[in-house]
Amino acid sequence: MILNGIITGLIMGGVLSLPVLGVAVIYGITGIPNFAIGVIGVFGGFLTWYFLSFHMGIAILIGVAFCFAIGYIIQRILLTPISEMGGDATLFFIVTVSLGFVFEGLMRAIFPRPSISLALPRIGTINIAGVTVEGFKIFALLFALGTLVIIRLLEEHTEIGKSWQATSQNLKLGKLIGINTNQVFSIASGIGCSLACVGAIFWGSLYNLNLMSGWDLGFLGFIIAVVGGIGNIWGGIISALIMGMVMSFSGYLLGGMWQSVILYFIVILVLIIAPKGILGSERSL
Amino acid sequence: MREPILEVSNLTASYGMISALKGIGFSANDKEIVGIVGPNGAGKTTLLECIAGSMHIREGQINFLGHQIERWPVLKRRRLGLMLVPQEGNIFPLMSVKKNLEVSVILSRRSEREELIDRVYKLFPVLWEKRKQIANTLSGGQQKMLAVGIAIASNAKVMLIDEPSIGLAPKLVTKLFETLEKIREDTGKTIVLSEQNIKVLDIADRLFGLEAGEIRFDEKTENLSRDVVKDLYLGAIS
Amino acid sequence: MKDRYEKIGTILILLLPVAFVFRGGYLQEVTGYVYLFLIQGYVAWFLFFKSGQPFFGYSVTMAIGAYGTIVLTEMFNWPLFASIFIGAALATGIAVIMFLSTSRARGFYVSMTSFLLAILFPRLIEALQPITGGRSGLYFGGLNALVGHKTLYLLVVFLTAAIVAFFLWIMGTKTGRILTLISENDRLTQTVGLNTRKYKILAYSIAGFISGFGGALYVNYTGFISSVDIEVFTTLYIFFIPLIGGSRVFYGPILGALFVILIPELLVPVERYLRIFFGLIFILVIVLLPGGLAPNIQKLLAKISQKKDV
Repeated sequence: MILNGIITGLIMGGVLSLPVLGVAVIYGITGIPNFAIGVIGVFGGFLTWYFLSFHMGIAILIGVAFCFAIGYIIQRILLTPISEMGGDATLFFIVTVSLGFVFEGLMRAIFPRPSISLALPRIGTINIAGVTVEGFKIFALLFALGTLVIIRLLEEHTEIGKSWQATSQNLKLGKLIGINTNQVFSIASGIGCSLACVGAIFWGSLYNLNLMSGWDLGFLGFIIAVVGGIGNIWGGIISALIMGMVMSFSGYLLGGMWQSVILYFIVILVLIIAPKGILGSERSL
Repeated sequence: MREPILEVSNLTASYGMISALKGIGFSANDKEIVGIVGPNGAGKTTLLECIAGSMHIREGQINFLGHQIERWPVLKRRRLGLMLVPQEGNIFPLMSVKKNLEVSVILSRRSEREELIDRVYKLFPVLWEKRKQIANTLSGGQQKMLAVGIAIASNAKVMLIDEPSIGLAPKLVTKLFETLEKIREDTGKTIVLSEQNIKVLDIADRLFGLEAGEIRFDEKTENLSRDVVKDLYLGAIS
Repeated sequence: MKDRYEKIGTILILLLPVAFVFRGGYLQEVTGYVYLFLIQGYVAWFLFFKSGQPFFGYSVTMAIGAYGTIVLTEMFNWPLFASIFIGAALATGIAVIMFLSTSRARGFYVSMTSFLLAILFPRLIEALQPITGGRSGLYFGGLNALVGHKTLYLLVVFLTAAIVAFFLWIMGTKTGRILTLISENDRLTQTVGLNTRKYKILAYSIAGFISGFGGALYVNYTGFISSVDIEVFTTLYIFFIPLIGGSRVFYGPILGALFVILIPELLVPVERYLRIFFGLIFILVIVLLPGGLAPNIQKLLAKISQKKDV
C-alpha cells in the first residue's frame, strides 16, 4: 500500500518535472517568471486531445508545435520588449497571469468539454516488488527524466547550448559578442512551453485535464523549480518527485478535494520558509 | 591622412536629469590606438557605451564604416565590427575560461575559430594554464585578461575597452598595453581605450581629453606632454 | 487645493446614485453591485498602488469577511453585527499574517503567495462543502431580511462613500504621506529613520479589515455566495479596478469599477469570450496605458477643449 503510494508519487512527480523543467528553462535563461506556460501547455494538451482520433502521432505533434509557436511569439512580441523597457518581476507576474487567463478563456470558448482525458495506448503492465504498475506510467517517468538529461547535455556540449548559458549568465556581454539574444529568449520560451505541453499530455493521459489544470501545472511547476533551486536541474527533479509523493499520499489519505488544497498550502509554506529553495541555487528569485 | 572609420559628432547623453555627455565629437582612424582620458565621472564609460549601443543617446550621430549606427541595436553594431569590453560584467562568470572563449567566436567561420582562440592563449599564456577553471574563480587581473581575450576572440574590427588597467598591478598594466599594441600590429585592429592611467600615452597614437562630459583636447600623443595629461586629472585644464 | 476639490467631488459623485433608490429595479441592483466591488477596488488602490504593497489576495479577504459572516450567524447563531465584525477581523488577520510571513523576502514573493492563496481559497471552500456549501453555495438572509432592500441599498451607497472618504482622507494625513514615501522608495524611507514595518502592518490591517467588511456587506446585499464567486479571477477583477480606472487620481477606481462590472453585463451575449477579452485588455492597459483610463480621458478632454478655443 505504501509502496503503491510511493510509486504513484514518483510517477506524478516525474511527470510534473516536465513543466518544472519548462519553467526552469525559461526563467533560467530569460530571467522572466512566466506563469502562463502551464495554461499554454494544457491548451496544447486539449489541442492534442481534439485531434487524437485522427492520428495519435500528428495530434501530439500539433499540440507541441503549437505550444512552441505560442511560447516563441509571446516572448518575442511581448515579454522581451517589456524586459528591455525594464519590467520587474511583479509586472511580469501580472502580465503572464493575464496571458494565462486569455488562454484559459480560449480553452473555454473553443473546446466543447471542460474536462478531458487523453486516451494514449497502454503498453501493458509491469510488476515491481508485488505492485502492478502500468507500463505507460513507467514510460512517462523515464521520458521525463530522459528529457531532462538531454537538455542538460545539449546545454553543455552544443554551440547553441553554450549561447544559452552565456545569455543567461551575462546578457549584456552576450549581445556584445554577437549572440542573437532575442532569438535565444524566444526559442527558450518556445521550448519551455513545449515541455509544459508534453507534461500536460502525459498528465492528461494518466489522470485528466481540466480548465484549472493549467494553473496547477504552471504554478506548481514554478514553485517546485524555486524550491529545488532555479538553475539547479537535479534539485528541480528531486523536489518534483517529493511533491509528487506528497500529492499521492494526501490524495489517498484525505480524498481528492483536499489534494490540491494541501498542495497549495505546502507550497505557500515552502515559499514562506525557504524562498531561496531547499537546495539553494545560483539564481534565486 | 588616415580616414576615420569611427566618427561621433554632437553626441549628447544623460542619466535622467543628469547630463553625461554634452554634444561631443570623437573619431578613430583605421588601425589607430586612440585613448580617451579623463578623471572619474568625466563620461568615458558613457561614451563607450553609447558607441557600442548599450546606452541610448539623446542627440548626435555615430558613423561607423560608412553607416549611421546611432539607432542600431547592439547586435547589429557587433555584426558590423564594433565591440565593447565593459569595465565590469565582462566575462561569463559560471563558465570555464575555455567555454568563455569558445562562445566568443560565435560570429566567426568555423575554420577560423580554433586559430582565434589559440591567438588568445598565445597572448595570455596564463589563460591557457587556467583554461578549465571557472571564470569567476580567477583573480582580478586574470579576469581582465579573459575579458580582453573574449574581445580578441570575438575578432571585431574595432575594440572599445573601458579602463583596462583598473585594478591591475603596474607590471600587468605594462604587459597588457604591450599586448594591445601587438594585436594592433598583427591584426590591424583599431583600439579605443578609455583610461585614467597615464601609461596609456605609451601606446596611444592620439588622445582625447574628456572632462565633465566635454572634450577638452584632441591631439596626437607626440604633440602632448605628460604634464598636460596630468593636469587634466588635477582639474587644472580648462 | 486642487486635491481637496477632487476628493470632495469624488465623494459627491458617489452619493448621487442615492437617487436610484426611487427608480429601483435593475438600476439599483447593478449600482449596488458596482459599489460593493468599488470598496474592494479602493482597498486595492490603497494597498497596492498607494502604499506599494504587492498583494493579490483581495478575493480571499473579501471571502473571509463574507463566509465568516454567514458561518458565524447561521451556524453559531451569533448576532449579525458581531459576525460581520469578526469576519472582517479574521480577514485582517490573514492579510497581516501574509505580510509578516513574507516580509523577509522580496516583494515578488508576497505577490506569488497571495495569488496562490487566492487560488487555494475557493478550493478550500469546496473541500469544506458541508460547512460552506462549496460550489452550490449558501443563501443568506442577513441585513436584507432585517431592513429590506431599499434601505440596504442606501446603506451600501453611504457606507461605500464613507469608506472611500476614509481612504481619501487617510492619504492626506501624515500616515498617508509616509505610505506614499514607502511606495516610492522603501529603503530610503527606512534610512531616514521611519519604521516602515509598522506602517506596512497598518496598511495591511486597514486593507484587510475593509475588504473583509466589504465582503460581509456583499453577502448581505446579494444574499448568496459560492466558491465560484471568489474564484481566482475575482481577485484579478478587483485589482483591475484601480489599474484600468487610473491609480493616480482619486476617482480612477470609479471608472475602473464601472468598466469591470458593466462591460460583462453588456457582453452577456458573448459571455464565453469574456475571459479572453479581459485578459487581453489587462495586458494592453498594463503595457500601453500605465496610468489607466482616467488620466487619458483627462488628456482627451483637454485636447477637445483646446480645439474649441482655437
